Amino acid sequence: MVSDNLSRALERLRLLGTAVENALLVLLLSAMMLLAVGQIVLRMFFDSGLLWADELLKILVLWIALVASVAAARSRRHLRIDVLSRYVPQRYARVPELLVDLFAAGICGFIAWHSLQFILLSMGDTVLVDIPSWVAQGILPLAFLLMCYRFTLHFLAGFFRVLRGSPTRIPGP
Amino acid sequence: MIAFSILLLLLAVLGAPLFTVIAASAMLGYQQEGIDLMAIAIEILGIAEMPFLSAIPLFTFAGYLLSESNAPRRLVRLTNAVLGWMPGGLALVALAACAFFTAFTGASGVTIIALGAILYPALQHDGYPDNFNLGLVTSGGSLGLLFAPSLPLILYGVIAEVPIDGLFRAGILPGLLMLVMLAGWSFWVNRHNRKPPGSFSWREVGGALRESLWELPLPFVVLGGIYSGFFAVSEAAAVTALYVLLVEVFILREIRIKDLPLIMRESMLLVGGILIILGVSLASTNYMIDAGVPQKLLSIVAELVTSPASFLLLLLVFLLILGAILDIFSAIVLVVPLVLPIAAQYGVDPFHLGIVFLAAMQLGYLTPPVGLNLFIASYRFDQPIMKVYSATFPFLVILLLSVIVIAFWPQLSVWLVNV
Repeated sequence: MVSDNLSRALERLRLLGTAVENALLVLLLSAMMLLAVGQIVLRMFFDSGLLWADELLKILVLWIALVASVAAARSRRHLRIDVLSRYVPQRYARVPELLVDLFAAGICGFIAWHSLQFILLSMGDTVLVDIPSWVAQGILPLAFLLMCYRFTLHFLAGFFRVLRGSPTRIPGP
Repeated sequence: MIAFSILLLLLAVLGAPLFTVIAASAMLGYQQEGIDLMAIAIEILGIAEMPFLSAIPLFTFAGYLLSESNAPRRLVRLTNAVLGWMPGGLALVALAACAFFTAFTGASGVTIIALGAILYPALQHDGYPDNFNLGLVTSGGSLGLLFAPSLPLILYGVIAEVPIDGLFRAGILPGLLMLVMLAGWSFWVNRHNRKPPGSFSWREVGGALRESLWELPLPFVVLGGIYSGFFAVSEAAAVTALYVLLVEVFILREIRIKDLPLIMRESMLLVGGILIILGVSLASTNYMIDAGVPQKLLSIVAELVTSPASFLLLLLVFLLILGAILDIFSAIVLVVPLVLPIAAQYGVDPFHLGIVFLAAMQLGYLTPPVGLNLFIASYRFDQPIMKVYSATFPFLVILLLSVIVIAFWPQLSVWLVNV
């Protein structure tokens, strides 16, 4: 079956994607802890410090923000005004949910496109002394592209649920 | 333009992720002004320009780690050893432990899950009325928001560009006021429930202290380090996160290494949610400031109120409504930049404004329709949401009274800042 193969491939992609997100978050958070504590140790005991550490720390914050944001899109954990899903019966909440996912996908795609334009435009700039700035900033269009993809998947899943009318429910907090 | 704005509001109410709504409104503004939409990228990259921001992921991670370990149990035991002998002691224990834990975990709802599971059955066992227990544990989940090093305090400091150590001092007395008023209410409710008070035991205090030996240095290192100016808040956060990681995973071995990635992910989901809203809000805020929105707001406000006191009243009403709809983090990021210049016109101290802002938003955790604590408690203790509402209501009223006192008594917030 073609659809079986497709759904298996999608499932594998999902597992891979989650694993990559988790690995990146572990890496970024650990790097942040070690770098910041390392700076303190250098300052206290050796009266010195790494000149680029502060800037790198800030880039790490940006990366954590964006990677975690992609992860939050997967787990539906972005901050929102959560009235509908709590007060409206599930069957009436589905269509607004579709709308919202489609809107979110569109906006993320839009931001991805415009930030890519920005990265291309500022190609010659550097960060951390002599590293091209796109290395640090390229995460921006990528993260929004992935979020666009994620919200599109949410939309499609919701769309097929409405078509089939099956009473599956998204679990609570 | 107005049609678009209404559409965006509608989408927000329908539950669109707030960051997409904010980004859309910023880009709409750019379009109007003929600014290239690439500007949104520059604004989001501004996350990497803000000072101290690394404190937010680091403290959040440390808080999630603590809540996954046995630290909550140790904290309750220690508080119980110190305060439990008093009449109504366990209610007092619950309030103090919740406040302490929330301060260290940043009011993300983990307090109810980590501490509520211990306190709720213990309160029931000691014969406190069920509604009281439910209300106490639910409102306890956001108590301590005003104590260092809570995330909302740090976020306000970053956004309002106010020294964070000063904010940490500003929150102490107002936070204590909330605690004392709630403790008073607890005594009053349980005045007929006269259990023979327990006895104070140095031996139990010693045992509890020994058990918490590894966590005891934390508050001193963090608070002492920040108050003395030895650590910047982001450095204190890094030390805390690394220390908690080493203690809970390698020394006490209460968290397995293979569970770490999931705990990190779980904590970063909240952080990602906050920081991405911060990023897109930089865009919408800068646009609004360019478009002169604060001045327009000021002229509207000036028509309504003239004195600082009436301004504070208006602000309070606004914040209470805001808190019922928006979570505290989005509200800080979105609204503080607009309110700050207006408050300055009325001579409101930025430290005082921050404490009033956070104290009012704390009520938002407990007010329908979206109060986060209500839902977490309903889910965690398997109680109907209506019951949680009514059980929490008296606590909400007490907290509202304390917020009014905090708003109209600026010295309470400002006094310790200048000491």
